[in-house]
Amino acid sequence: MSNEEQNVGGALLAAPPTNRMVVAVLALGGFFVALYLFAHNLGLGGPIVCGVGDCATVQSSQYATLGPIPVSFIGVLGYVVLLALAFVGLRPDYRESRMIGGLLLASSLGGGLFSAYLTYLEAFVIEAWCQYCVISAIIITLIFFASLPEVARLKTPGAGH
Amino acid sequence: MTKFYVVLGVVAAVGISAVVYSIGSTALGAAAMEPIEVEGLDDQDVLVAMAQGVTKGDEDAPITIVEFGDYACPGCGGFAMSVKPQVELLLIETGKAKFVFYDFPLTSIHPTSFLAARTARCAEDQDKFWEYHDALFRNQTSWRLEASPISQFLSYGEDLGLDSEDFESCVKSDRHADLVSANMRLGYEMRVSSTPTIMVQGNDQLLMLPGATFPAIQAAMEQIAASVDPSGAN
Repeated sequence: MSNEEQNVGGALLAAPPTNRMVVAVLALGGFFVALYLFAHNLGLGGPIVCGVGDCATVQSSQYATLGPIPVSFIGVLGYVVLLALAFVGLRPDYRESRMIGGLLLASSLGGGLFSAYLTYLEAFVIEAWCQYCVISAIIITLIFFASLPEVARLKTPGAGH
Repeated sequence: MTKFYVVLGVVAAVGISAVVYSIGSTALGAAAMEPIEVEGLDDQDVLVAMAQGVTKGDEDAPITIVEFGDYACPGCGGFAMSVKPQVELLLIETGKAKFVFYDFPLTSIHPTSFLAARTARCAEDQDKFWEYHDALFRNQTSWRLEASPISQFLSYGEDLGLDSEDFESCVKSDRHADLVSANMRLGYEMRVSSTPTIMVQGNDQLLMLPGATFPAIQAAMEQIAASVDPSGAN
């Protein structure tokens, strides 16, 4: 058996990366939070339910859209990408994939930074809080931390793809 | 992996249920929830004609107490429940003043208050405005944070004996959206920025009160009376 065949066999037998499972679960939760906000942007479902904070102010502010695109739609797309990456990364032939690891890290970092910018706007510019945006910010932060083990995978010599 | 799929399934089920419930449960139909553009309001005469408040008391009373109010505003709820009864008992029923309520829903922070204002006007169509107005404030805590308080609104109408078919068709339409929007515009023109804003009008004077309290209303009435007769005697 060649070294290459042994590596492939090792990857197939390796346990699925727990951190990618965590990313998948969190991304699915974040997807529904963003979908809820996007549905309201489309006028479905009446006003947003706000127990704490002031979603209506945030959602009606100029910062609720990026050009013609609602920020909530960007959130929906972002979580779909993270969910897809996590799922692909759980497939036996991609479990050691450095490409998937790199993409997961990059997208969770990008999402985290974008979310930090939105949180800054809520705190200092709009001066109102939307709890769904806060929940999303927490989720993307957790996803970023769950993606950190990918750094070790990237440094591992001989990791696939 | 099985546990992972179970957790994923639970998250998916909860998420789908929450979003579907949120979208599907509102059943608002075509109910107008937000202010609309009303043509001609730049003309002051048109604005005054369109922005009709609802009056309680003797039309010929020398003093008019005006409230710009929002049904979802806790401060307005407090005013309606604790101050307005005193105003009614001591000032309205004695013929010293009349009370006029103008809608000023703060839609940016109270997403359902425009609907509430419109709904009260639907009750006015059946001559039950003040009863409905009081019911909205009395039950404010049970509907103000609901995404769609429409079922509560309909039940208050039913409790008051309104014709439920007419009332529901009014609530689930855009009826009175122009009236409430004109009221809001009048408030903005009068520099109303918060609710409840109370004004006392009489003898060609209009005093905007610093607080929505009974003593403040009495003090304003005395100030207006003193301006009629410098000796202060009525």
